[in-house]
Amino acid sequence: MKKFIIAFIILTALFSCKIKPPQLVRIEGKQTTINETIVADKTFENTIKPYREKVEKEMNTVISYTPINLYRNDGDLESSLGNLMADLCYERANPVFNSRTGKNIDFAMFNYGGIRAGISKGNITNESAFNLMPFENSLVVVELTSEKIKELVNYLIEENTAHPLSKQFNLTVTEKGCDLKIKNEAFDSSKTYFVLTSDYLQTGGDNMNFFKDPVTIHKLDYKVRNAIIDYFKETDTIKVSLDGRFRNEKTLKN
Amino acid sequence: MKRRNFIQKSTAATAFLTLGRLSLQSFASKNTKHITILHTNDVHSHIDPFPSTDSRYANQGGVARRATLVETIRKENPNTLLLDAGDIFQGTPYFNFYGGELEFKLMSMMKYDAATIGNHDFDNGIDGLFAQLPHAQFDFLSANYDFKNTVLHSHVKPYKIFVKDGIKIGVFGLGIELEGLVDPKMYKETLYLDPLEIAQDMSRILKEEEHCDLVICLSHLGYHYKNEKISDLELASKTKNIDLIIGGHTHTFLPKPTVTKNSVGENVLVNQVGCYGLNLGRIDFYFDNDKNLASKGKSIIV
Repeated sequence: MKKFIIAFIILTALFSCKIKPPQLVRIEGKQTTINETIVADKTFENTIKPYREKVEKEMNTVISYTPINLYRNDGDLESSLGNLMADLCYERANPVFNSRTGKNIDFAMFNYGGIRAGISKGNITNESAFNLMPFENSLVVVELTSEKIKELVNYLIEENTAHPLSKQFNLTVTEKGCDLKIKNEAFDSSKTYFVLTSDYLQTGGDNMNFFKDPVTIHKLDYKVRNAIIDYFKETDTIKVSLDGRFRNEKTLKN
Repeated sequence: MKRRNFIQKSTAATAFLTLGRLSLQSFASKNTKHITILHTNDVHSHIDPFPSTDSRYANQGGVARRATLVETIRKENPNTLLLDAGDIFQGTPYFNFYGGELEFKLMSMMKYDAATIGNHDFDNGIDGLFAQLPHAQFDFLSANYDFKNTVLHSHVKPYKIFVKDGIKIGVFGLGIELEGLVDPKMYKETLYLDPLEIAQDMSRILKEEEHCDLVICLSHLGYHYKNEKISDLELASKTKNIDLIIGGHTHTFLPKPTVTKNSVGENVLVNQVGCYGLNLGRIDFYFDNDKNLASKGKSIIV
């Protein structure tokens, strides 16, 4: 009985303590920038090291060669790197598209901003491809009505920028208006056209809204970067030129 | 059984009485509890620091440095939770070559307690994420992705309750709508449930049924949108009983955590620390049993 009373008292004391839940009285928030003032943890460094070495080795592997510097801004409304990118994507993607649909892509178009780095004269490595295309964008083919192609042309003229276009697309802006040829044929407003681009642009990236609601859409499940790497691997020496596929005769000086 | 019970309680009581003999000040400090929440979001496979030549983030970031910082803070306060708000994957060749293995390994070494799933964590498909799970020694929390018809079924929990120094901390995860953002081939039969409804449910369960002292939402919804899209700020204003929303997705750099009001006019903290492991977020919660102190209400210092 005596024990019971003691237990009762203790339990009561505990209970009265327990009914008072801890109260949140103060909150402090801050953030710390991770920079060189913080010493890297050795164990972590050692864990990362073999992975880093393998990545670096892979990235430094030479996969092709360019005799000239490739930039996105070495032309007026076209560029060596833009032409190369659009042409190689077309070349890599068309067989995939053709095997699935029996049709051919009419031309390729990407965005100037999507070319993230130039490639210097000399060896081309995997890293060059990663720097050129750090995003995971994939290739898609959209079937566009002639109305959408007109929007695309207006966009190009308004932007007045060297957006990458493949060689099948020839647009000349003149005093009278503009002249468009696709695959060496005059633009036909009764036709639909198959245009190769990236999923990023297809969904409205860079305001290329003409890609948004196509007649049909074909996802190729082929990353832009992989197309670039595959092309480099099969091409010993890169050949590229400025051929005036998109030019403005009103502003062209020579 | 009863006797064992009695012995346990009396031991506790002895400890209690011993404490009573100490000075008033130390008694008060013993009554104070301190929980530290550390967090990252959108690290995007950034293992190494940015090079000194980087135009925006020169010499910033780096997992091995973050590990040092986390360890220092854990030594100061062992009652620390380390959380990540998703998009662990994608952004450097480490992901392209290893599929997220190193990211998960390092997070496990750093003793992350939980992470939620971001849209980019599906970049190698739901099978790619599943394949890397053996490298993750921490929990994945998502209350509004229904994975029951996928390989992730039973590998992702809606919430988890952590007990640190007697304080119950309920953490639940929320993910962004995947349709239109991720190829359906990647997320397969993952169902997206309304994050607002789920958050209302979760906060009720954690506060009223589980009696958590702290409720944390680990979200990959995004900080704020100009349109109607559900965001962390929107969620904060339409729920109650959530103390902290740790966000991601929008790569939002905040000068300090946002203090906003919930549906019943109480303060909620919303925080996000940009991206790429450039920053470590930290929120400290102090609890007190002292009635006089507690009655003064909580102060927020940000």
